[in-house]
Amino acid sequence: MTTSPNSYADKAAEVAARATPERLVVRVRALSDRAIAWLFIAPTIVLLLAINIFPLFWAIYLSFTNFRANRPNAEVKHVGLDNYTRVLNDPDIWVSMQTTAHFVFWTILLQTLIGFALAYLIDRKFRGHAFWTTLILIPMMLSPAVVGNFWRFLYEPQIGLFAYAVSFLTGIPTSEIQMLGSVNLAPWAIIIVDTWMWTPYVMLICLAGLRSIPDYIYEAAEVDRASNWRQFWSITVPMALPFIMLAVLFRGIENFKMFDMVNLLTGGGPGSTTEVASITLKRDAFEAWATGRSSAFAIVLFVAVFGLANIYVKALNRVKQR
Amino acid sequence: MSSAKAPSAKTTSVNAAHSVVEPSSRSKRIAATLVIVYAVVTMVPLVWIFLTSIKSPPDSISYPPKILFTPSIEGYCNLFTTRTRQTAEYIASLPEPDGVCDAVTRQRNMVIAGSSNFLPRFANSLIIAFGSTFLAVGLGTLAAYGFSRFKVPLADDLLFFILSTRMMPPIAVAIPIYLMYRQLGLSDTALGMMLLYTAVNVSLAVWLLKGFIDEIPREYEEAAMIDGYSRLQAFRKVVLPQATTGIAATAIFCLIFAWNEYAFASLLTSGSAQTAPPFIPTIIGEGGQDWPAVAAGTTIFLVPILVFTILLRKQLLRGITFGAVRK
Amino acid sequence: MTDQSLTPHSLTPAKPRRPFFLRRGPMEAVAVTVIALGFLMLFQPFLLVLYTYSLVTLLAGTFMFMIVSKFPE
Repeated sequence: MTTSPNSYADKAAEVAARATPERLVVRVRALSDRAIAWLFIAPTIVLLLAINIFPLFWAIYLSFTNFRANRPNAEVKHVGLDNYTRVLNDPDIWVSMQTTAHFVFWTILLQTLIGFALAYLIDRKFRGHAFWTTLILIPMMLSPAVVGNFWRFLYEPQIGLFAYAVSFLTGIPTSEIQMLGSVNLAPWAIIIVDTWMWTPYVMLICLAGLRSIPDYIYEAAEVDRASNWRQFWSITVPMALPFIMLAVLFRGIENFKMFDMVNLLTGGGPGSTTEVASITLKRDAFEAWATGRSSAFAIVLFVAVFGLANIYVKALNRVKQR
Repeated sequence: MSSAKAPSAKTTSVNAAHSVVEPSSRSKRIAATLVIVYAVVTMVPLVWIFLTSIKSPPDSISYPPKILFTPSIEGYCNLFTTRTRQTAEYIASLPEPDGVCDAVTRQRNMVIAGSSNFLPRFANSLIIAFGSTFLAVGLGTLAAYGFSRFKVPLADDLLFFILSTRMMPPIAVAIPIYLMYRQLGLSDTALGMMLLYTAVNVSLAVWLLKGFIDEIPREYEEAAMIDGYSRLQAFRKVVLPQATTGIAATAIFCLIFAWNEYAFASLLTSGSAQTAPPFIPTIIGEGGQDWPAVAAGTTIFLVPILVFTILLRKQLLRGITFGAVRK
Repeated sequence: MTDQSLTPHSLTPAKPRRPFFLRRGPMEAVAVTVIALGFLMLFQPFLLVLYTYSLVTLLAGTFMFMIVSKFPE
């Protein structure tokens, strides 16, 4: 719809161009180029403004009010920074931040260690490595919600495969392996599923990092009789580090806002042991309907993610230059 | 630092140089063993989903978990139907069962009451995922071409802005979207979900496609334009065909995101526009979750993604790193 | 630190360098540190006061990053 007037304009420009001296040709072409550039970019920008940016500003506005979405007709009062001071002084929200931190820390640590180790092993280029790599990648592409939901079945203490396997290997009776019901184990139940799902992601990026190291560096090290251990720490790790950083940052952002898997596996329970920030936010916004306060909370989370995103793009550009 | 010295004369022979870097066959064997063990362990939950989907409900909840069992179609039957319990006399009085599912259900003293919501939810998933992918890739291709070929003022900031919209926490965005959609009458509609997913996906699409289009030499279009093509014709007849692979890969990435998405879907849809991910966890039978039916739904839901992952494995890295890593 | 000796700068002493607070590299590093500090404050379990001021720190770091990333190298 939007292109047809422009194609006419373009044709007109072309017709004009054929009949005019060269300098004018350049000018007409250049002008229409700029028009085309904006015409091409504008729809995307408009959509993002409407569906992402406008709601964001609305949320900022709401965060300064006492609006409640379940009472749309009640009078809306401006409360200044009250919502922010409440969110930032609320011990419960603070605790949910620590729960999030615990989750983010352990998932990233495990995923980086296992992912890098796997990448290192796959980089040995044994026969059939491509096939096994593809197999390892599969969990990453699946829906965290749908698969996470099924993990509830695997975690069932009596009938679940996970509890059975653990009890088979360790001798602990299955009735004691209450992965989702126990306060101590529930956070680890989520960490295990997330690690199972996202280790391949870290592996894939580490593998790209390892493959970007040129062979001649290893050859030179070999000539210098550097031990394998030394080569690993002074060539492999430093050269792959930008890639590892990229993976860590991206997983950090993703897990900071983790919602679907936690919501389906534990729903924040038992009690509030697995109540990560997104779950608290959802309860505040869609169960307590404290829209104003939850908007302030949402803005806090958004600022945090936005800060990380800045660093992520910096890391992205650094990797791109390689 | 000493390792960075130029390769010395010893490594002039190509074969010798290669044998230095090539891992020994013993280390290869160890690596292969460890990787295969990991791959097998990681596949167990997925295999278990499939096995559960072809178990009968009593088999699925037996202790210890059954690995050998008689396959049953009951999970799939239960997934697509709703059933009511009846007395044995009533069932005996019915005419011959009509189809396999009917017979299986009657063995449990139940009769099929109607079809379940799974098919409509699955259809919603299809419509919303394909619709939003189509829109996102269409808009994304145009914008990516704009960013790739023309000097756009503040291009870097615009691109960062586009990327950062994808990183927003979904719940944080969901609050104002919920209010906005309520005002516009878009809540719980396929159109609303489609627009939302398009907005989230278009950021990825622009980033990826810009990378692909950057790789197409400008000279192709310039040559075409000297031959009398207009800019738009050159875009359509030269750039688009060259970018087909990139567009297809991007489309599959957008499709997978929209297909898998749960947070927005669970908060913004409840009935007519609900997609499969929020629906599958709600499948319940008598006395709790009907795991074979859930597994059947999960299997049907995951198979398309499995196929795409295998098709896409070459482009995978590029997609998940926002185009930073090419191979 | 080591890269300074490797860059062409050291070979062309004619150009006076900008002070470090107007160059992109070091200031970006400072901004990233501030953002990281904000995260630590958000996540730490020890002092509620630090948590309270994490948002301000994160905002400051992010704004600083956005501004200094416009500086020339």
